[in-house]
Amino acid sequence: MAIHEKALIEAERLRQHDSLTLEGVDVSGHWNTMIRPRTLRNYHEDFEKTLQRYPGAENVHRCWQCGSCTNSCTMYAQNLQFNPRYWIYLSRLGLTDELIKDKDIIWQCVSCNKCTHICPRDVRPEGVMKALLHWMEDQGITPKSPSTIFDEEFTAQIYKRGRIEDTHVLLGFFHKTKQSLFQPWLLEFSKRMSKRLPVKHSLRMGLNAVLRPKTKSWGNTGEVLSRYVSQQKESHRD
Amino acid sequence: MQDTVLVVGAGPAGLSAAASVANAGYQAVLVEKETVLGGAPILSGYAKLVPSGEWAKEAIGRMIHNVEAHPRISVHKGAQVERFGGEPGQFSATLSTGQTVSAGATILATGFTHFDSVNKPEWGFGTFEDVITTSQMEQMVASGKITCPSDGRVPERVAILLCVGSRDRQIGREWCSKICCTVSANLAIEIKELSPQTEVFIYYMDIRTFGLYEDRFYWKSQEEFKTKFVKARIAEITASGDGRLLLKGEDTLVKRPIMIPFDLVVHAIGMDPNLDNPRLAQTFGITLQHHGYLERAEFYTNPCGTTRPGVYACGAAYGPETIDDSIAQGAAAASRAMADLHALAKAG
Repeated sequence: MAIHEKALIEAERLRQHDSLTLEGVDVSGHWNTMIRPRTLRNYHEDFEKTLQRYPGAENVHRCWQCGSCTNSCTMYAQNLQFNPRYWIYLSRLGLTDELIKDKDIIWQCVSCNKCTHICPRDVRPEGVMKALLHWMEDQGITPKSPSTIFDEEFTAQIYKRGRIEDTHVLLGFFHKTKQSLFQPWLLEFSKRMSKRLPVKHSLRMGLNAVLRPKTKSWGNTGEVLSRYVSQQKESHRD
Repeated sequence: MQDTVLVVGAGPAGLSAAASVANAGYQAVLVEKETVLGGAPILSGYAKLVPSGEWAKEAIGRMIHNVEAHPRISVHKGAQVERFGGEPGQFSATLSTGQTVSAGATILATGFTHFDSVNKPEWGFGTFEDVITTSQMEQMVASGKITCPSDGRVPERVAILLCVGSRDRQIGREWCSKICCTVSANLAIEIKELSPQTEVFIYYMDIRTFGLYEDRFYWKSQEEFKTKFVKARIAEITASGDGRLLLKGEDTLVKRPIMIPFDLVVHAIGMDPNLDNPRLAQTFGITLQHHGYLERAEFYTNPCGTTRPGVYACGAAYGPETIDDSIAQGAAAASRAMADLHALAKAG
């Protein structure tokens, strides 16, 4: 790029006008493009505390920006926009607008944890990135990830019956993620299973799928458990 | 005469030198230009010292007490050496009080002068009431309450700017003042202890909390007291229009200009050569190094030496120094002086 500074201009800061008059002078034409300043005008230092309530980000305040995480990162080698050090810095100063700009990059973390093992201050950058993703989900900035939806289906069944029913979990997950039940791999899986599974087991599976029994003496354990978990979440997030 | 050592300056280095001389059975004459002993920690009202965490008044106070109570130390306060002459083993000094001191050796513990922040006008000291120096912040901590001088409110945000009067070719300060990073981290801890709702930001180029100061001050301020370290050299401090201050600069790590509101800005001021050094050099017949500190003699075989035999030095007179190392150097200079006097006496 001939002019380096152009790389620093995000599209949303460009202001173009079809016709523009400044102080009585018509500047339409070549001079009609204005760039809004990129100055950071405030910090939101409370954000660090908010993020630290998410598992994985507890040590984010320890970072001293050495860059070991980014240097060792598997994804950074693929994508120069993938920069854990930078996101940690933004998190510490609460520059959330800047973080949100990278919402479509942060998820690319492959959890190889090289950053975690190399960090001299035990910041655990991989955890920070996971925490950022969860925060963005909670804020509705990004849609719930399939794994979150799966977890919710799984947990809901545990609360209800103290156990999960595989077919039921899959049904719920596919329904909520708007996926077809007739996945080729699933059809193949069922076909082979029905061939090999002893009759007694097949019958029991079928019965369980229909009757959905609870764990013995489950009682109101699920209710208590669910209340406890939501209390814990509340106390971590307020 | 050969059992007397003249010590000039009664800061940590000079107090330590005088005490070492006297404890070894020699006589010490301590000359201090101010009317109180203790040097910068006492004169500038430091709070808790690095790294001991003891209050300056108590720690340096013990040194002062030892010196004042010692039968073999005579103290001249409010006095300066005006004329100095002679050879090792037989120096003679005339004080501004008119008294004459005969001594076999002389130790210069003449220290430093705090950088005057007015010399960096773009950072607002002297223009805005809420821009203060680390010395003033030390006094505020010692007073037990963190407030903005302009209206007495408790600051929501405090910025500490490092390297004010250090590492700055623009103003001829081509040295690192060594201790400001650690002192600033320590101040950040103390501010947070006194005022938990205040957020402290330290603006740095590098952090030089050397040796054992690393975890005890830098890491502790960050991990336990949530001090935020921002890599930015501030360009300018202006008024925000609503009673706060605006810090302008470039955040090196986000590669973006910043303009952040603050309530209180603290300059981590460096250590200049003592303003008296040109006069001291002339009086004592020694030379200064190119920054204006006392010139060290060849160090490996002549530690604590100056360019004049029989005249020794210690502490911040040589360049920015910590209190602990100044005390150690005071003791070292005392032992050099006494060893050389002992050799002279044996030879004579």
